[in-house]
Amino acid sequence: MKLNKYRKKSPWILHYNAGGCNGCDIEILACLGPKYDIERFGMINSGNPKQADVMLITGPVTKRSRERLVDIYSQMPEPKVVVACGSCTCTGGVFRGMYNCEGGVDQYIPVDVYVPGCGCRPEQIIAGVVEALKKLENKTKEIEKSVRLEVAPVESDNQINRREIAAPINNGGKPSVFG
Amino acid sequence: MNNIVVQILLIALAPILGGLIYGLERKVKARMQRRIGPPLLQPFYDFLKFADKRKMIVHSTHAFLGLLHFVSLWFAVAVLIMGGDFILIIFLHLLSTAVIILAGFSTRSIFSHLGANRSAISVLAYEPVLIIIAISAYMLTGSFDVSALYASEIPVLFKMPLAFIALLLILPVKLKKSPFDVSEAHQEVVGGVELEYSGIFYEAVYTAKWLDYIFVYLLVFMFGGANIWLGLVLVALTFIYINALDNSTARVNYKQMLRFCLWVALPIAFVNLLLTMFGVL
Amino acid sequence: MAPIIVSLFILPVVVSLLLLFLPKAAAKVLTILATLTLSGISLYLYYSRGDQPIQFAVPAIVDKIVLIADFALLAYVIAQGFLQRNILVWGLAALQAGILAYLAMNMPHGEYMQFYVDNLSLFMFILINVVSGVIAIYSLKYIDEEQCSPFRKKYFLSTIFWFIAAMNLLSAADNLEYFYLFFELTTIASYLFIRFRLDKESKQNALTALWMNQIGGLAILGAIAYTIFTPGYGVPTFSHLLTQAPTVGVILPFAFLAIAGLVKGAQYPFSKWLIGAMVAPTPVSALLHSSTMVKIAPFIILKISPAIQGTPVATVIICLTAFVFIAAAIGALAQDTFKKILAHSTIALLALMILMSAVGTPVAVTAALMLIFFHGVSKCMLFLNAGIMEHVFHMKQTSSMTKLAEVGPYTSLIVAVGFMSLLLPPFGAFIGKWFSIETLGTIGGAVITPGYKLISALILVMIVCGGAVLSLLYFKVLGSMISRTGERDKVKFEKLHPIYRGTMNFLLVTVLLCTIALPWLIPGYFAPVAATIIKSGVPVAFEGFALTIDNVKLPLIPMIAAFVLLPLGIIAAMFVRFKNVDRAKEYACGEKVEYNFASFYFTTEKATPYFVYAGILFFVGILLVGYLM
Repeated sequence: MKLNKYRKKSPWILHYNAGGCNGCDIEILACLGPKYDIERFGMINSGNPKQADVMLITGPVTKRSRERLVDIYSQMPEPKVVVACGSCTCTGGVFRGMYNCEGGVDQYIPVDVYVPGCGCRPEQIIAGVVEALKKLENKTKEIEKSVRLEVAPVESDNQINRREIAAPINNGGKPSVFG
Repeated sequence: MNNIVVQILLIALAPILGGLIYGLERKVKARMQRRIGPPLLQPFYDFLKFADKRKMIVHSTHAFLGLLHFVSLWFAVAVLIMGGDFILIIFLHLLSTAVIILAGFSTRSIFSHLGANRSAISVLAYEPVLIIIAISAYMLTGSFDVSALYASEIPVLFKMPLAFIALLLILPVKLKKSPFDVSEAHQEVVGGVELEYSGIFYEAVYTAKWLDYIFVYLLVFMFGGANIWLGLVLVALTFIYINALDNSTARVNYKQMLRFCLWVALPIAFVNLLLTMFGVL
Repeated sequence: MAPIIVSLFILPVVVSLLLLFLPKAAAKVLTILATLTLSGISLYLYYSRGDQPIQFAVPAIVDKIVLIADFALLAYVIAQGFLQRNILVWGLAALQAGILAYLAMNMPHGEYMQFYVDNLSLFMFILINVVSGVIAIYSLKYIDEEQCSPFRKKYFLSTIFWFIAAMNLLSAADNLEYFYLFFELTTIASYLFIRFRLDKESKQNALTALWMNQIGGLAILGAIAYTIFTPGYGVPTFSHLLTQAPTVGVILPFAFLAIAGLVKGAQYPFSKWLIGAMVAPTPVSALLHSSTMVKIAPFIILKISPAIQGTPVATVIICLTAFVFIAAAIGALAQDTFKKILAHSTIALLALMILMSAVGTPVAVTAALMLIFFHGVSKCMLFLNAGIMEHVFHMKQTSSMTKLAEVGPYTSLIVAVGFMSLLLPPFGAFIGKWFSIETLGTIGGAVITPGYKLISALILVMIVCGGAVLSLLYFKVLGSMISRTGERDKVKFEKLHPIYRGTMNFLLVTVLLCTIALPWLIPGYFAPVAATIIKSGVPVAFEGFALTIDNVKLPLIPMIAAFVLLPLGIIAAMFVRFKNVDRAKEYACGEKVEYNFASFYFTTEKATPYFVYAGILFFVGILLVGYLM
C-alpha cells in the first residue's frame, strides 16, 4: 500500500531554536494558536524529534547549538523535511560573519525550504511548510540509507552551501541526493 | 451488553472506536478554542503515516515492552467489555501501566525516566479511588462482576452519585489531561514514557492511548446501568467535561495532583462507600 | 507417621552438629543432601497426609529437658545482657525466668500430647524446609566470600540448620511450654545470626532484636499463666485452648499469643529489630524474612484464628495490621538501601497476612496462606539476589544501582520478576491481595453493626492505599536498576557462580511454576490447609473457566493471559531482538553528556515516630480488649 499521501496529512513538527532572537519562534507559535490554526492540516508541535516529520529551525546556528542541531536532526526518522524559518536561519542574516556563527543552517544539515523574513510571517511559515510537505510526499526509501559527508574546510565566505562540495563516500563519487 | 456478538465486535473494534473518540476530541477541543481543528480521521492519518517512517528504536527490550503495553491494555479493555471482575480489571490495567512504566525506565533517557516516575505517582493517585468505587459497586449489586452493573435496572448513577463525582475527579489523571497531565507534560518531559518510541513502534503506544479512552468511557458508561441511553448521555457529558477542563486549566505539579486525589477524590469515594454500605441511597 | 515427623526435628540438629566439624567439601555435600532429604520428607508428609491430625506424645523425661533448656536459654540471655550492659535484655529475661519458675511449680500434670501436626504444620514444613534449604545451599558460596575465620563459616551454616530444626519443632508443637522453648530458640538463633559480623552495629542491633523478641516470650508465658489459672482451660496446649475457648469465653490467653506473634512479625512498634537485622550477612535476612522467623506471626494468628474470629481482639489486630500495612509502605518510600526497602515491604505484607488470618473466613484464610507461600518464595529470591548484588556487583544502595542492567542483566531480571510477583496479576501474592480486598468488601457488606461497618470501610481504604503505595515503591526501586543504553541491545547474561545461578534459577522457576499451577494448587494445597484451620470445609469448585472459592470467583482465562503477558512477556523482552531496525540514541535535547538518574525522594522519616506510638497504642488495645472481654 502506498502510504506516501498520508505524510502530508499528518506532519508533526519539531521546532528548534538555534540561537535566534525569538522573533521567529513567536511567529511559529502564533501559527499553532487559534488564529492561524495549523492543526487543521493535522500538524502537531510534538517537540520530540523521534516522532516528528518537519523540522522548523530558527536562528543563525551558533557554535554552541550546532552539535545539538545535528544530533537532533539525526534522531528524526526519515522521511523528514527541514524548513529554515527566518533570514538568519537561511543565510546567517545580520549575524553573518560574526565570531560565533557561520552562514545559515544549510552549512550543517540539508534544508528543503527556506522561509525568509525577519521575523518570518505566519502566513509565510504555513506556505513554507505546505511547500515542504510536497517534498515530503515525494521522498523515497532511498533517503533512509546513511550517507557520510566528507570533511571539507570552508575556504572562503562565499561558500554558502557545504552540501555542494560534499561527496558521498559510499555512492561511487556521485553527488549525494538528500531529497 | 449481554449479546456476545456485540461484545466481540466491541472488543475487536475498540482501538478504532478509541481513535474516533480521539479524533472527535481534537475536533471538539479546537472548536472550543474557535479553531477549525483537524479532520475527524486525523488519528488514523497519523497512524498510517507512522507505518511508513524509518524504523528506529533505542533497544529491543524497550520497543517490545511498548508492544506488550498495547496488548495488555487491549486485554484489560476486553475483560471490562466482557463484564469481568472489577478489581481484577483495575489490576489488569495496572499491569499494562506497569509495563509502560518499565519501558520508560528501561532506557537511559532522562525524560523517559521522569515520565515513568510521574506515571507511577499518578497510579498512586487514581488507583485507590477506582478500587473504592469497585467495592461500592459490590455493596450495591452484591457481585464484583462488572456485568452486574451493566445489568442493573436502576441506573448506578442514582445509587452512587458521589462515586461518579470521584470518578470524574480522577479521570484527568488517567487520561493524562490538564490539569493532571504531569506524566505526559509535553512542554516539560516531552511526552514522558512515550518519548523514545518512533515510527511503527510508536503506533503501539499511540493506539494504546485510544484504548485508554475506551477503558475510561466504559467506566463512565457503566454508571448508566441497563439504561444504554443514560450511559451514552453520561459518556457525552463526561467527554465535554474532560475537554472543557483540558482547555481551561493549567498544569499542576505532581504533589498538588497527589494531594488533590488523595484528599478530595478519595474521601468523596469513601463517603460513597459508607453510603452504599449503610444502604442510604 | 510420627517417626518421619520426628526425623524432621532430629535430622537438622544432627546436620547442624556435623557441619561444625566437617571439612568444607564434605559440608557442601552434606548441606545439599540434607536439604534434599528435608524437602523430600516435608513434601512426602504433605502428600501422604490423613484426614486426622497426627498427635504424639514424647517421653516424660523430655518435659524435664525442656524445662532445663528453657532455663539454660534464659540464663544465656541474662548473661549476654549483663556482659553487654543492656538492662532491657537481662531484665526481661530475668522476669521470664521468675514467671517460668513459678509456672513450673503450678503446672497441672495430665496425659496430653505434646505435638500436634495438622495440615497447617505440614504446610509450614514445606515452606520452611524447601526455602530455608535453598538458602542454606546459597550460603555455602556466600559465606565463603565473607571475611571471617573458617570456624565461624562452619558455625554460620550450622546455625541455619539449627534454625530449621527450631522452626520445624515450633510448627509442630502443641504444648505451650514447648512452644515457648522453640520460640526462644528462634530468638536466640536470630540473635546469634544478627551479631555474626561482630562489629558494633551488629551487636547493638542483635541486642535490640533480643529484647524485643523477649517481649514475645513474655507474652507466651502470660498466655500459659492465664491458661493455667483460668478455670476451664486446664492444660496449656493449643488444641485444648481452641476447643475450650467457646465455653470458657476468656480470650486473654489468645490476646497474649497474638502479641507474641505480632512481635515476631515485626509489626509496629516492634519493627526495629527486623530492619536492624540487615547488618547480618544476606542469607540471614533471607532466612528471617522469607520462610522462618517472621512467618511465625501469621502462623500463630492462623492457629488461634477460630478462637478469636469475630471477637474485639481480632478487630484490634485487624486495625493494627491495616495501619501497619500502609505505614510500613510509606516508611519504605524514604529508604535507599535495597535490603531496607525489602524489609519494610516484608513488614507491610506480613501485616496483610496477619490481617487475613485474623479475619478468619475461608477465603481470607486461603488468601493468607497464599500470601505466606508466595511471599516466602519471592522474598527469598529477592533477598538472595540482594546478596549477589552486594558480593558480585558491590551495590547496596538503590541509587547506585543505575548500571545494574548493563553489568548484570540476569540479576536485574530477577529483581524485576521478584517485585512484579509481589504486585501484579497473575502471581500468587497478587491473588492473595485481591482476595483480601474482596473478602473485606464482602464482610463490610455482611456485618450489621454500624461501628463495624465504619471500621471495615476504613480498613478497606487503608489496604487499598497501602497497596497503591507499595506499587509506587516497587516501581521506584525497579526504575533505578533496569535501565541500559542502546549499545547494550544484545543481552548477554552475566556469569555467576553455579551455586548462585542454580539457587536463583530454582526460585525463579518455582515462582513461575507455582503461578501457572495455581488452579491446581488452590484446591489441592491451600484449600485443605485452610479447611483444617477453620475446622470446616472450604468450598472450592470449578465452574466453567472459573475457580470459585466460597463467594470469590477466580476467572482462569484472564489469569492465563496475564501469565503470558507479564512474566513470560518480560522475560521475552530480554531476549527479543528486532532485526533490520536502526538504533537511535536517547533524546536528551541534543546534549551528549551522560546523565545520572535518580528517583523521586520521599521524606517520610518525620512520620515514622508517630507510627511507633500508634503501634504501642494498638498493642495496649489488644491487651485491654482481651482483658475486658
